[in-house]
Amino acid sequence: MRRHIIMAVVFWSVCVDSRKIRGISLSYKRFYRERKSFLCIDGSKMIPFEQVNDDYCDCEDGSDEPGTAACPGGRFYCSNLGFRPHYIPSSRVNDGICDCCDASDEYNSHAHCQNSCRNLGQRERADVEGQMRTLDEGLRLKQQLIEEGVLLWREKQAQLRDLQQVAEDLQIKLEEHRRRKHEADRLKEQTLKAGDRGHRHQNRTVTSIFQILDSNKDGRITVNEVQAKVAFIQDEERSLSEDEAVALLGGGHEMDLSMFQLTLWDSLRAGDSVKIKGTYGVPASLADEDPNIEAAERDAVREDTDLKKVEEAYETVNMEISDLRNKLTIDYGTDREFLFLNSQCYQLKVYEYTYTLCPFNQVTQKSAVGTEVSLGKWGTWAGTPENQYSRMRYESGEPCWQGPTRNTMVTLTCGTETALRSVKEPSKCQYIVDFQTPVACQPVLKQQGIHSEL
Amino acid sequence: MAPVLLLWLAVCLSGTWAVDRGNFKTCDQSAFCKRQRALKPGQSPYRALLETLELTNTRLTLQLINDNNKVRLLLELYRLQGNMTRVKINELKPLKPRYEVPDVLIQEPPTEPMSLLSQDENGVVLSLGAESQRVIVSARPFRLDIMEGREVLMSVNSRGLLAFEHLRMRKDTFSYKVTSTVASVWDNIKWVFSSQADPEAEKKEEADPANQAEEAVNEEEEKVEDGMWEETFKSHSDSKPNGPSAVSLDFSLPGVEHVYGIPEHADTLKLKTTDGGDPYRLYNLDVFQYELYNPMALYGAVPVMLAHNAQRTTGIFWLNAAETWVDISSNTAGKTVFGKMLDYVQGSSETPQTDVRWISESGIIDVFVMLGPKPQDVFSQYASLTGTQAFPPLSALAYHQCRWNYNDQEDVQAVDAGFDQHDIPYDFIWLDIEHTDGKRYFTWDPHKFATPRDMLQGIMDKKRKMVAIVDPHIKVDSNYKIHNEIRSRGYYIKNKDGGDYEGWCWPGNAGYPDFTNPEMRAWWASMFAYDQYEGSMENLYTWNDMNEPSVFNGPEVTMHKDAVHGAWEHRDLHNLYGFYVQMATAEGLVQRSGGVERPFVLTRAFFAGSQRYGAVWTGDNAAEWDHLKISIPMCLSLGLVGVSFCGADVGGFFKTPSSELLVRWYQTGAYQPFFRAHAHLDTPRREPWLFGPENTALIREAVRQRYALLPYWYQLFYHAYRTGHPVMRPLWVEYPQDTATFAMDDQFLIGRDLLVHPVTEEGARGITAYLPGKGEVWFDVHTFQKHNGAQNLYVPVTMSSIPVYQRGGSIIPRKIRVRRSSTCMEHDPYTLYVALSPQRTAEGELYIDDGHTFNFNKKEFIHRRLSFANNVLSSINLAPDAQFSTQSWIERILILGASKPSKVTLKTADGQESQLEFDFDASMSVLTLRKPGMNAGADWTVVLQ
Repeated sequence: MRRHIIMAVVFWSVCVDSRKIRGISLSYKRFYRERKSFLCIDGSKMIPFEQVNDDYCDCEDGSDEPGTAACPGGRFYCSNLGFRPHYIPSSRVNDGICDCCDASDEYNSHAHCQNSCRNLGQRERADVEGQMRTLDEGLRLKQQLIEEGVLLWREKQAQLRDLQQVAEDLQIKLEEHRRRKHEADRLKEQTLKAGDRGHRHQNRTVTSIFQILDSNKDGRITVNEVQAKVAFIQDEERSLSEDEAVALLGGGHEMDLSMFQLTLWDSLRAGDSVKIKGTYGVPASLADEDPNIEAAERDAVREDTDLKKVEEAYETVNMEISDLRNKLTIDYGTDREFLFLNSQCYQLKVYEYTYTLCPFNQVTQKSAVGTEVSLGKWGTWAGTPENQYSRMRYESGEPCWQGPTRNTMVTLTCGTETALRSVKEPSKCQYIVDFQTPVACQPVLKQQGIHSEL
Repeated sequence: MAPVLLLWLAVCLSGTWAVDRGNFKTCDQSAFCKRQRALKPGQSPYRALLETLELTNTRLTLQLINDNNKVRLLLELYRLQGNMTRVKINELKPLKPRYEVPDVLIQEPPTEPMSLLSQDENGVVLSLGAESQRVIVSARPFRLDIMEGREVLMSVNSRGLLAFEHLRMRKDTFSYKVTSTVASVWDNIKWVFSSQADPEAEKKEEADPANQAEEAVNEEEEKVEDGMWEETFKSHSDSKPNGPSAVSLDFSLPGVEHVYGIPEHADTLKLKTTDGGDPYRLYNLDVFQYELYNPMALYGAVPVMLAHNAQRTTGIFWLNAAETWVDISSNTAGKTVFGKMLDYVQGSSETPQTDVRWISESGIIDVFVMLGPKPQDVFSQYASLTGTQAFPPLSALAYHQCRWNYNDQEDVQAVDAGFDQHDIPYDFIWLDIEHTDGKRYFTWDPHKFATPRDMLQGIMDKKRKMVAIVDPHIKVDSNYKIHNEIRSRGYYIKNKDGGDYEGWCWPGNAGYPDFTNPEMRAWWASMFAYDQYEGSMENLYTWNDMNEPSVFNGPEVTMHKDAVHGAWEHRDLHNLYGFYVQMATAEGLVQRSGGVERPFVLTRAFFAGSQRYGAVWTGDNAAEWDHLKISIPMCLSLGLVGVSFCGADVGGFFKTPSSELLVRWYQTGAYQPFFRAHAHLDTPRREPWLFGPENTALIREAVRQRYALLPYWYQLFYHAYRTGHPVMRPLWVEYPQDTATFAMDDQFLIGRDLLVHPVTEEGARGITAYLPGKGEVWFDVHTFQKHNGAQNLYVPVTMSSIPVYQRGGSIIPRKIRVRRSSTCMEHDPYTLYVALSPQRTAEGELYIDDGHTFNFNKKEFIHRRLSFANNVLSSINLAPDAQFSTQSWIERILILGASKPSKVTLKTADGQESQLEFDFDASMSVLTLRKPGMNAGADWTVVLQ
């Protein structure tokens, strides 16, 4: 009997309590101790305690009506046993829509709310567990990728160093080749000059012409020999007269090499009156056939070709270096965890379109008919101040008709695979891509997750 | 995006025609307008043949003859109940019937007896009932003068601009050629009237030299070149098989300097004179990126004009659905205030007068002259002819969230969740054309909206609703059920050659159902049945766009005038098309619920009478400050001619608003009847929470103010439904003698009791509100500060300011527990805002019903008068025979401008008395009665002692 009374008292007090504290969390309970009067939590007004939760708003801050919809801007606490408690705007109390899973917000409405907290809790715990597993797995994969990234980074660095070495070598080579080309050019120039005025070149030519004219090879050129080999340019058929031959021989009837050089050679070389029979032009043209000159020119051409090759190679290597350097200047995250995405591409088909994300490069859209449109080129990281690596912005894609250029925001979410999850176009030509990858998994997120979920 | 882009490209390439004015006709480019406007005021060629006068008790008939061409007209004159006069003029014997607008009048207007007061050879005088009103019919030239006492209220044909292009045979047709001599022409004309014995005409003929007939013929020959039988505009030709058929008439309004109405134009409330420019044009057109402050035609047409001066308000309803132009001139236009004063001082002033002239392309002259005398009388008179505003579901008065387009179900769900997350209420989310399967209306995109019922259920779970667009252009596609049915039933409008008329619109090649055909309308209505419209549910409502109709490749982006609706040309009834589309759609929504639920249908095109079927909006406006400003006169003009449920796209449709403009637009829209945000496909997203927390809070507050006031809006719409009085009103309607208000269109009244002066200037630091009413007071609804009437009040403003004032002497009910949708607030208690007049009195009303069915017609509602006098506030039943019970109660009463009582007693119907707690704020003189708690439907009194 006594026990029943105690039970009844307990029950009664629980009832009274629950009426009075409807919509309040434990931490706020101290403000609502049953007294004669109630002080609005902002201290603005004192009201009789019966006016707490009496469905009339007395306090500016809404604190007298935590369990009703009477106060605009008020809030109602769903305790949601079995799930997580939370606040809803008091305007959602008794509005006919079930907001709290424990149905506590619809205590006086037509809505038939079931207590679904247990199910929700179970489901959420399963979800959270799943997320945790994903996160764990993701973080493990991320660690791998970070490690791979380190290797990759080193590899890239090594590659860079190699390239730089190659470049250096090439530069040395280049300089060598430049020197050699320069030398060859100089030689060629010299040889040509020699054939023109230079002694060695000239002598060789003079001698050979002298030898041609000196038919009997006695070291002298006679009138007969001149008449036999030399002709007027204008009239090759006519033989030279003796006088003419004598005149060419400088007034004598014969001459030696040195005399030839001063007289007939000059006439032949001038090329405007006489020539050697059966030939055209001036004897200087014989220089082409000069093996020395030929060799010099061949050398020069070869050196030039070699130099160009080396220069090309040098340029290529330098371009590779700058390319690689550019890539290496991109921010790949604190642990360079995003490095591996570089040079990868990911695709997703949405209805008739295929979207391709090549991280740190570009986003494209290809329609079923096959036309490809750029939705933006790599711009910057654009995440939150807390985690700037949560979003990537791709900018300056193909311009829209009568509009701005297309651009894409890529949101990175934690997952065990690296893949595109969704592509949306909330406003025309503004794309939002959900990109899932283990490297987006954040250990801090794990803690926050636990905190906010429970 | 690509197909949409392509389509959009295609559309815009055609649409770009409309960007510049050159793609719409001026009066000069519209052959009949040019022809008619070339007639200058002067001696009218029309003469009344008094010997043909016949007067029955309620109807006067009289023949008119045009002395130039001898064509006779038949004038009918009726005295209508409610102080109206109807003047109807048709050809006496037209070659074939001329179009008379059906379905717009809600009934054949009941007549009142007229009597003949006097008659002589110059004319007749008729008595118009008891109010010393007379009509003087002058014979030569014909004119009508409507008098009251010695005052002329309105003169008809006083400027001699009555013109009636009689139907005729085409000259180059065989039958004409046979008789193609001057003499035989004349015989021909005689033959037309041969059945009518007309000695006067015979005499005239004898008296007149033959050259008169020749002149007439010459005149006609000239006119033939003026596009009587064919007309081209741009690349479009109009075949005009019936030849010229225009009608025109002038009205003079002595003592009138202010005329209003004839929407839809993007122009000031007070109509301007049209001398030196084009007339106001009424021709329903899809005008791409319309310009402001000009008389160009827009999407809808209501041929009703109101004339007002400090003594009287009158109205002219020109019942003609063909292309119509309205010229306005005034003898005081252009005079400065000083000039007018000088006239007055020197006594040289003639009476101010406004002259109006209506010109329509075909049909007949059928004019209703509404004689007021008060503005409210004109509203009632017009409502008695064309009906009142449809009483919308309560939720339709709440906030609507629209965009071209919410992309898919996920998007819809995310936007819905966004409103809850940011604690902003909304009732309707809208889907534009992209929700369909390839612009086939009544269908859903199979990928993006694969499970529409799931989506609608999700919205319904939040007690919210959806609107999906259903346009009247039907994709020509043999795999589309709707098209096949319409084609096989022969319901499409025909082209001039008898085939189905086809034009380009959103789906590409499209047919246009003939909504003028009642069978077509019945079939269309049946398509809204839940088992016909797949995926639809009871919380899905409808939006009729493009119903001018819009034809991208048609002349002026609309239908060819020589298209055929049964016996009639499109020319005859163009302005009625949108009216019929909305009518059939609304009927469909009524039928699907077995006649239980009220429909909600938004239309872009409209005509006189469209108010009976739902809401209208001002079409494709732009995110510009001037477009925000123009939303006020545009909706005021519509309200004056019966269309109360009006709104403009909040934020502006084209272009992107700054966050300041967006916030100001929400603040303005929250106080206009139809409150919907909308945005073009090309613009960035602009849901209210996308502009930072401060702007989100500002928008939230504006929307919440709207929701708190919903009881007042609902009561005003009930009133509009009952009486036809506008919900959103120009100030002059309530202060008809205050000339300062006559041209005011930067502020307005909601009902009688709320004055709104929205901030519509960029970077505004203050506004100057005019508070009307000498000896009246107004209370700032936010601070409860009291201001005297009849003053210009400068009000400093911040971004959160929405200057709104409650009239002293009024009681406004609010529900201040704003929830996520209006339906969630159904059972919430009321707070009464009693604003005392200087005489310490106040009156108001409270109307409650279920908010969504027609059961109010079965007397299921609560309608109470709230009245404060002698320190007693009481609730009196205005509808004792009605029955409805509500859970709502009175949670709080605020008495503004009160003094502190010592005791407040509540007396309920059962005789119980109780003391009420109260709180008095001496600084603002606001008395707050705490939780009186009586049921909102009960009788009660509260006594202040």
